Amino acid sequence: MEVGMLPISASKRGKLLAAGYTTLDAIARASPSHLARDIEVSDNEASEILNLAAKASASEKPNETHTTVVGGGRTAWDMLNDEKFSSYITTSCVDLDNILGGGIKCKDVTEIGGVPGIGKTQIGIQLAVNVQIPQDYGGLGGKAIYIDTEGSFMVERVLQIAEACIEDMEEYRNHFHKDFQACDVKMHPNNILENIFYFRVCSYTEQIALVNYLDKFIMENKDVKIIIVDSVTFHFRQDFDDMALRTRLLSEMALKLMKLAKKFCLAVVMLNQVTTKFIEGSFHLTLALGDSWSHSCTNRIILFWNGNERHAFIDKSPSLKSASAPYSVTTRGIRNSTSNCKRIKMMNTSGMVLCLLCHGWNLKLGWLYLRGTVKFAVSFSYKELRSYLLPQVWFICYFPWLQLETGSTGVVLHAWLR
Amino acid sequence: MFMFQMKQRNDIPSHGNLVITARIEITWLREMKPENLLLLRHRSEKCTVGCPVLDRCLGGGVPCHSITEFVGESGSGKTQLCLQLALSAQLPSSRGGLSASSIFIHTEFPFPFRRLRHLSRAFRASHPDLPDPCDRVFVRAVHTADELLHLIPTIETFLLHSRSRWRPVRIIVIDSIAALFRSDFENTGSDLRRRSSLFFGISGGLRQLAKRFGLAVVVTNQVVDFIGDGDVRVGNLSNGLYSSGRRVCPALGLAWAHCVNSRVFLSRDEDGPVRRRKMSVVFAPHLPHCCYEYAIKGEGVFGVDMQREQD
Repeated sequence: MEVGMLPISASKRGKLLAAGYTTLDAIARASPSHLARDIEVSDNEASEILNLAAKASASEKPNETHTTVVGGGRTAWDMLNDEKFSSYITTSCVDLDNILGGGIKCKDVTEIGGVPGIGKTQIGIQLAVNVQIPQDYGGLGGKAIYIDTEGSFMVERVLQIAEACIEDMEEYRNHFHKDFQACDVKMHPNNILENIFYFRVCSYTEQIALVNYLDKFIMENKDVKIIIVDSVTFHFRQDFDDMALRTRLLSEMALKLMKLAKKFCLAVVMLNQVTTKFIEGSFHLTLALGDSWSHSCTNRIILFWNGNERHAFIDKSPSLKSASAPYSVTTRGIRNSTSNCKRIKMMNTSGMVLCLLCHGWNLKLGWLYLRGTVKFAVSFSYKELRSYLLPQVWFICYFPWLQLETGSTGVVLHAWLR
Repeated sequence: MFMFQMKQRNDIPSHGNLVITARIEITWLREMKPENLLLLRHRSEKCTVGCPVLDRCLGGGVPCHSITEFVGESGSGKTQLCLQLALSAQLPSSRGGLSASSIFIHTEFPFPFRRLRHLSRAFRASHPDLPDPCDRVFVRAVHTADELLHLIPTIETFLLHSRSRWRPVRIIVIDSIAALFRSDFENTGSDLRRRSSLFFGISGGLRQLAKRFGLAVVVTNQVVDFIGDGDVRVGNLSNGLYSSGRRVCPALGLAWAHCVNSRVFLSRDEDGPVRRRKMSVVFAPHLPHCCYEYAIKGEGVFGVDMQREQD
């Protein structure tokens, strides 16, 4: 509630605002003498204002439900501040993270769609694992809810991705935080499995009932930071004669999920299928569930094949510019696409291989293991990379590492060329 | 609460609405609990297809709790593979099987009884300790897609009853799904819509069964010739699917592709006098793309071990 609502004279109100008392909270915190000095009124008048403010804020709270529009309203400034601290869940693919501004954003509903076999489920599993990366490693240390409608969730695959994720974290610790004791907590793939709440739903009624129940469930399990619905579409594409009913049920469900995302500050990821649509005499590929559904998600990412490479395209987002990035699905999970990195330089320094890979202005660092084959182990977020952009910085950075390494490990510098 | 909100918004709740609301309420009353993945881990079983090389291609065999599709042109060995699977499912779990019976739904006629007999003779020769394998393959003919959809509840009751009397049924084979949809549907909007809603109905029913009884569902699909460039790329094979030198794509289109969990492509090529057959994974949630050669012999379908050949 604003100062403007207080039953005081307009001149006093103006003085209050001019002195910076814009909210009731700000007034309540001030002492009468302070207030009197700030707005140049007598002490009596100041305490009167304080009383009124206290009354107003007290009366405001129980009536919150009636004045949600007023009480729940927030300034864009507050929201901008919140935005700065909003957290992201990495996709493990640096290119994809870059175009998404750091990963899948909490508090948002993101829809990801694509043809069968493009890697929707793989991204879903990867996110369910990545949300559990501890805060020491730049993750969220949360838990995941996985709602499986299609039965494509394979535990053996989760285990593979979880093991790779743990390996990556250990690698990261070994190279950067040798002295960092806090990171010593060893994670086990079983812990990762335990922290994924897996629901298998077999009909759309179950799906809706589950979404209704989630509020209660998350209340009990506060750590949940992501909800993945794989896929939101499947049960809604069978036995629906009444399309209006389907639309209504779907938007109701989307609204509930959106509320959950805001209330518990978690990310909601909905996977969607594709269908062909007849527009102006030719068939086009679009995401399923129709036009009205496309309004119910904040962000929309479309996965598609470009030649022999998988690409992700931001189709709709209020804050991100539309862009596309390549990614690949490997045994270890979602990773950077490697085919467009041109290797321009390779030199051998005392048993270690240094590769300089060229791919534009962005520079990337990663670790390679050289046990017979070359394999990409750790990649950094864009922000971290920025600090390594200057050439002289790299030299400072990587020479100490070189001395630390034994013969089996190497350092890689990637320079990405757009 | 749900109903109340609807009235408030001046929606006149239709009959369908009320029924759905009631159903949602009932489901809600049932305790909803997440499944423990640590326990599920032991349940992600595989059923051997009867050859270690092909098992390796499929990551241990055909996975339970999901739908696997074998797609290929006629004569590529789909039916052979399915028959062999129905037999090898009866092996005990120590030998990669499920020690279970199977239901074989055929839509193409006639059912290859003689071939099954052949295979079972070879099967008995290599596993003399098991009873006659033909006794544990239940065969059923289906002529139309609607019949298949209505058969699913019947299968459910059958599965419930058969649990006690015979070894449990853990495999359902449908050979082939495409034959059901080839004739009855025309290329009009309403027919296509009816067709795809049947797809999702059948697939939904099968998935429910697969989950409830831990079944491995296997369907076979035919291919159609690839025409023009308007087609959508599905899966790993970048240059398209080739069989007998022609570019093909799986029948039933994009909608059906969403209805299966994994798709395996079987191709054959006449390379002079030599006939080469290949099995490749188009997409699967748990498998990378891989490709193996196989041969069909009198005793069944066998993968060709490339490494051993190279040595």
